Amino acid sequence: MTSATVERAKGAGAKIIRYRGVIKRFGSFTALNGVDLDVHAGEVVCLIGPSGSGKSTLLRCTNGLETIEGGDIEFEGALLPKDDRALRAVRTRMGMVFQSFELFPHLTAQQNVAEGPRTVQKVGQAEADRRASAMLAKVGLADKAPNFPSALSGGQQQRVAIARALAMEPDVMLFDEPTSALDPETIGEVLNVMKALAEEGMTMVVVTHEMTFARRVGDWVAVFDAGRIVEQGPPAQIFEAPTTERTRDFLSHLGWSG
Amino acid sequence: MTLDWNVVWQHRGQLAAGTGTTVLLTIATMAIAVPCGMVVAALRLYAWAPVRAAATAYVELFRNLPLILVVFWAFYVLPIWTGLGLSPLATGLAALALNVTAYNAETFRAGLNSIRRGQVEAAMALGMSRAQALRRVIIPQALRRVLPVLASTWVSLFKDTSLVSVIAVSELAYVAMQVRAQTFRVLEMLTAMAAIYWLLGYPQAKLADWIQRRYAVSE
Amino acid sequence: MDFSVITDHWQFLASGVLVTLALSVASGASSIAAGFVVALARMHGPRWLRPVLVLYIDSMRAIPVLVVLVWTFFALPIVAGITMAPFFAALIGLTVHLAAYAAEIFRAGIESVRPGQTRAALALGMSRAEILRRIVLPQAVVRMLPAFGSFLSVTIKDTAIASVIAVPELMRQSETVQGQTFQPIEVYTFAMLLYFLLLFPVTRGVDLVYRRVAHLGRS
Repeated sequence: MTSATVERAKGAGAKIIRYRGVIKRFGSFTALNGVDLDVHAGEVVCLIGPSGSGKSTLLRCTNGLETIEGGDIEFEGALLPKDDRALRAVRTRMGMVFQSFELFPHLTAQQNVAEGPRTVQKVGQAEADRRASAMLAKVGLADKAPNFPSALSGGQQQRVAIARALAMEPDVMLFDEPTSALDPETIGEVLNVMKALAEEGMTMVVVTHEMTFARRVGDWVAVFDAGRIVEQGPPAQIFEAPTTERTRDFLSHLGWSG
Repeated sequence: MTLDWNVVWQHRGQLAAGTGTTVLLTIATMAIAVPCGMVVAALRLYAWAPVRAAATAYVELFRNLPLILVVFWAFYVLPIWTGLGLSPLATGLAALALNVTAYNAETFRAGLNSIRRGQVEAAMALGMSRAQALRRVIIPQALRRVLPVLASTWVSLFKDTSLVSVIAVSELAYVAMQVRAQTFRVLEMLTAMAAIYWLLGYPQAKLADWIQRRYAVSE
Repeated sequence: MDFSVITDHWQFLASGVLVTLALSVASGASSIAAGFVVALARMHGPRWLRPVLVLYIDSMRAIPVLVVLVWTFFALPIVAGITMAPFFAALIGLTVHLAAYAAEIFRAGIESVRPGQTRAALALGMSRAEILRRIVLPQAVVRMLPAFGSFLSVTIKDTAIASVIAVPELMRQSETVQGQTFQPIEVYTFAMLLYFLLLFPVTRGVDLVYRRVAHLGRS
């Protein structure tokens, strides 16, 4: 539990996402065991913790890729809908970036980014292409627009994946270990794009092992362990003055020295 | 032993007609079995439980029966079941189509299943419906994987058409063996029959190889 | 439908099943052995032999089993001046046709073992023969299991085509019974049941075995 007097830098904004007592089970395994967390407008919330602690699961519950067994998830003031059509509409307001990029291999970068606006939001080919070009330029890959994913490096593919999510003009971006599958040289280019996005005021929930990113770019950090949040607070607190044993253990195992 | 290869040339018209029927049967069977195979595969994957079970039973049945038996069985059973007087050609086509549809259904099902789950999730994360994800993301990718197998199935089918000769369909094998019976030129006619199949089948097999190389997917 | 025709003739049909089994096992074994030799000869034999073997393998992809069987039974005796019993002709014909398929399975299986495995074994000082025997083949065998499951299935189905050259296997016996009793539906339906009962466990059995040992083939 965090101290009531700890300042929350962007806590004044609207609550975009609220997790209340979220429980998720896979058969007999409890992946999430009562998670409480708020994500405010414009905040970058980083979820850290050991593998299997539930961070990615929480993210996948957020856009309904997984359904929860207990608790509530609220998005922009309303509970996540169960109806398929309504859920899809909610998904268009959330952008998700996957660890394995998951670009569509049979489409060019341009087509990948235009696919959402065209097929789902039905904005028409011209508008979809305009957005695609704009987003690809934004992530620094305008010249790669006609290339297929197989011709792109991992870092480039991930940047296209980010552009693809951004083209939907979402209210929040969900990142599921976006750099875990990348070569060290290309991690930087992706983190830079994410940093720029954060500076523009995008609301982001980021599951990551990149502690430096969480420290420098995050506004709020939640430490997961065995399906619960053991500690949450501003990065300064988590990384410099953690209040729980678990957090200290985790950080020391990573060799984190501040 | 005197050989008279002239016999082959004399009956070239019949042999050509038989070859034409073989080709026709192959094309017609695939024309039926590809769309039907897609339907059965879709039923196996996405329909509700009793339909899924029925589709699976159909596929398992026809993959575990000799085609020649299916041909005979169709010859005697289909007229009774459908009440129609079907020509041997139609019966043969039906038997071939039933058989190849089952194989195609398995091919399509495996193709669809081979697409990574992450692709479906990425599509859904964009807000696509199941149908949209199928149409825009899964099927285009599955098609690539399925093409080499379909080519291989085609090559096998071309050979399998010879089996409908047992119900007197005038495709190449039947015609060649008829001429043999009429002229008693056993070695010449049987060798010619093998040679014609070889001349037609060999390039098709090589084409299937090329398709396999061109479209092979390595994960 | 009157299934008493089955009980009346069950011994006759049972003898057919035995012949089917015998022919399947015999031609399966001989074609696997021959296929292995062909595959090895192709990979490690003299250079001039390779295109010959490739031609042989590809030709069997082009020529139907029916044609090979008929040629072996009717034409080969003329060329070789010998007489041949139907079973023996079927055995030879099936072996020639199936060995090509088996050779391809061997080749694909052996080539699928990662070259790194061979390099590691060479680094340990093993000879090529030792590497093949102790490192590559054991892994390849596991990888080839599913393909050989299909191979077995095809072999059994192909024995039914031997009915065309009067081998008294199940298909032929069924034809005889229905020819005498004029009850083709009952007889052929029963034959279908028997073939299914024979084939279904073969493919499922291989599946099960493969799942148990698959990890041994992964490198």
